[in-house]
Amino acid sequence: MKIADLTQKLEGIYTLESIMTTLKVDRSTAMNYTSKLRKQGFVKTKRTSSGKRIYNISRQNKIGGKSYYEVLNQISPIKLSESETYKVYGRDITYEETLVYAIKTGKLRVVLSSLALFKHINNWTQLSELARKNGVQRQVCALYDLGRSVMKVRKIGKQFLKTCLPKADDTYLYIIPNLESKDFIEIQQKWKVYLPFNKGDLQEYLQK
Amino acid sequence: MINITDQQNLLLNVARKLPKKITVYAVGGTAMMFHGFKDVTLDIDLVFTSEEDRMAFKLIAEELEYKRYDHKLVYGTKSNPPLMLRRGKGDEEERFDLFTVDVIDFVFSEEMMKRSKNTYEFDHSLILKIADPHDIILMKCATERVKDKDDARQIINNYKINWQIIIDEALNQIKLGRTKAIWYLTGFVTDVKKIGGNIPSDVLPKLYQLLEKQGNTKN
Repeated sequence: MKIADLTQKLEGIYTLESIMTTLKVDRSTAMNYTSKLRKQGFVKTKRTSSGKRIYNISRQNKIGGKSYYEVLNQISPIKLSESETYKVYGRDITYEETLVYAIKTGKLRVVLSSLALFKHINNWTQLSELARKNGVQRQVCALYDLGRSVMKVRKIGKQFLKTCLPKADDTYLYIIPNLESKDFIEIQQKWKVYLPFNKGDLQEYLQK
Repeated sequence: MINITDQQNLLLNVARKLPKKITVYAVGGTAMMFHGFKDVTLDIDLVFTSEEDRMAFKLIAEELEYKRYDHKLVYGTKSNPPLMLRRGKGDEEERFDLFTVDVIDFVFSEEMMKRSKNTYEFDHSLILKIADPHDIILMKCATERVKDKDDARQIINNYKINWQIIIDEALNQIKLGRTKAIWYLTGFVTDVKKIGGNIPSDVLPKLYQLLEKQGNTKN
């Protein structure tokens, strides 16, 4: 079977058994096909806790690059499936820009996943600059305080915090439109930002 | 011809030399490669949103030894041809076809831009957005070069096409002043069907109906 036909038929997540069923071939032929696809760069493999291999077969895998979702999935207990493709080539994605990206997506689960970044972010100057450019300074600080309330995080630069404090005439901002927290009132008031999470949403961080 | 890896390295080289951040839309063979429809392409078709961005890109491409190429040799006397740059010869030939919003008789519309969801960022400065497969077909219809029908057939036969999106976009093109959009699309779809494209049976009658309606409105 041609590689192009294989990638078309097998686009998705497979075990060796499901490849055998899909292609109606025996075990050794299925392994042979998987190996061919891997050599061409179409396969990413993961092992389950029981040691079983799971194959992610996609033509997108060959394109390479790294996405913000991959960065989040590496470090966060909240795992994400990529609903859109945004890949970066020729440079490393920093945790600081990943946080700003996550806030800008306006997606609940992505923002929730991004809280884990505060364990790793240490370039506050870069974060400050990116947050200012994208107009999300207060959102970053509110999420930082939220993260700090449920897990151990790196210490934020004092200067950054100072410059982000809201002014008296600033209005409240939403991270996710129309969602506000019933549990983190103090943080919301301090930054004039509505947090989209209640305590129950942060269980996965509390368990860590 | 250029493969996906070389194309990425080339775009990365351009990105590293760009003086400012620019966003560009990949249509044609390049977009097909990013969607996984083909492995190599001769021409890298890009649509810029401003002439200034196109010129910035062109200058960098020329630094990389791409030379101006006469668009008439490929596009004849069609309107809104691209700025063409070429490097190498024979199998080694690679080409940039650089458009600015207008792609021959079509416009790369705001709706098309919104549908271009897959984004690839090269270094810090080149944001490449990949046209949606539906819009690639429409752009193939616009450029109508030797291999365009074959490429369109490949997309149609390998992707779940929502024909309403294509028809709606053709109607949108009419609103944008491209009055012959349905005319061109009907001809293109007919030709693609002849070379084995899986065109659902209701598509062509729908297109002919729209053509008739457009004709009657004129009267």
